[in-house]
Amino acid sequence: MKSIPHKRSREVEAWLRREIAEQKVRYRKIVAEQDALAPKRDKWVAEFLERIQTRGTHVHFNMMRKVRPEEIPVRPKRKFRVVF
Amino acid sequence: MARPHIEPFVDRDVPFRKFTMPGFPKGMQYKMLSLDPDNGACTMTVMFEPGYRQPPGMSYSEYELFIMTGSITVGDKVHGPGSYFMVPAGIAIGALSSPRGATGLLFYNYGEPSFVESDSDHPRAERSKFAVVNAYDDMQWSSTNFFPATAPGCLVKVLHFDERTQAFTFLYCMTPNFWQDNISYHDCAEEAYHIWGTSWMMQFGDLPTGGYFYRPPYINHGAFGCKLGTLALGRTDSRLYNHFHFNPWTNVEENRQRAANRVMHWMPDLYKWINTHGHNHPVDFEFPHGHAHGDTPHHHGDGKVEHTHKRKRRRRK
Repeated sequence: MKSIPHKRSREVEAWLRREIAEQKVRYRKIVAEQDALAPKRDKWVAEFLERIQTRGTHVHFNMMRKVRPEEIPVRPKRKFRVVF
Repeated sequence: MARPHIEPFVDRDVPFRKFTMPGFPKGMQYKMLSLDPDNGACTMTVMFEPGYRQPPGMSYSEYELFIMTGSITVGDKVHGPGSYFMVPAGIAIGALSSPRGATGLLFYNYGEPSFVESDSDHPRAERSKFAVVNAYDDMQWSSTNFFPATAPGCLVKVLHFDERTQAFTFLYCMTPNFWQDNISYHDCAEEAYHIWGTSWMMQFGDLPTGGYFYRPPYINHGAFGCKLGTLALGRTDSRLYNHFHFNPWTNVEENRQRAANRVMHWMPDLYKWINTHGHNHPVDFEFPHGHAHGDTPHHHGDGKVEHTHKRKRRRRK
């Protein structure tokens, strides 16, 4: 039994509405912060794609394999989203 | 809609607020980390003020409590840092107090926070699933036993494992100079809070002490790194599988497609069965029937798994 059916009071409903509204604000702030991080992220991605060709990518625990240049994915034209 | 993607969020950037939810005693403060707008399930950092007292009582939702600093007393036992409580819905715990104060993480997994004063369990409560452990003193670190596994240097202590959903709650650490060069996503939602330390992910940057995320399924995360070590508490809502890859730009839909395609290859017979039965209503003989309790996702050939059935009224004889 994960939860027991019950009726919510008006006060509880009001508390939830406030929290949901605040969470929407928090979410928008996170999206804006992450958008601002894009230039750094692009650099990190470039370094990652370089490393997996030289040192390798983790496949399982300490097992790694080197990625061939032709396996490196091409960046799509759409916006690079990290928060969904 | 379930909980949104909250990542990253650092709770040290916001102050504690008084917890005014009806039913709860005064003296508790909180920071909301994430909340499900549909059912009110949420995760909070909480602070019990010195002198906090709560009578014996129960919650309508399953909840988990992890003590980070200070201590609480439940009944006549003192629980310090590292103490973890798994409290199923309807289980009455003894009087709780915190003479000198405490901070912790509080997870209400299936409904909004609730407290009903009671010294006995609700008739539907499952007492056998109640658990208390001190994760720091009573347990030792082990490697993750997933396949494929995280890189060496990520260690876990499993605090709770749900036998039906395979959801689990775990303390984890990353050793100094931990690194893992791949990108991962899961079929489950995952959340975590940094008790101490900073780790790095290629998408989101640094997550410091007090950092938190709630990540819905199929969202890329990684590569990973940690210079000085990290101690954190994590939780999933169902089985965790590491779908590793190295394409930084895939989106949720592409990741989900890939996961479904993998299921098709890993469990071809089951995949075919699921896709060819009009009234798809799998029943697990070990658990109660979904229609009666409304807890088993299924559809009626229309693909809509999120629906409910009204209870049938019993005719009086």
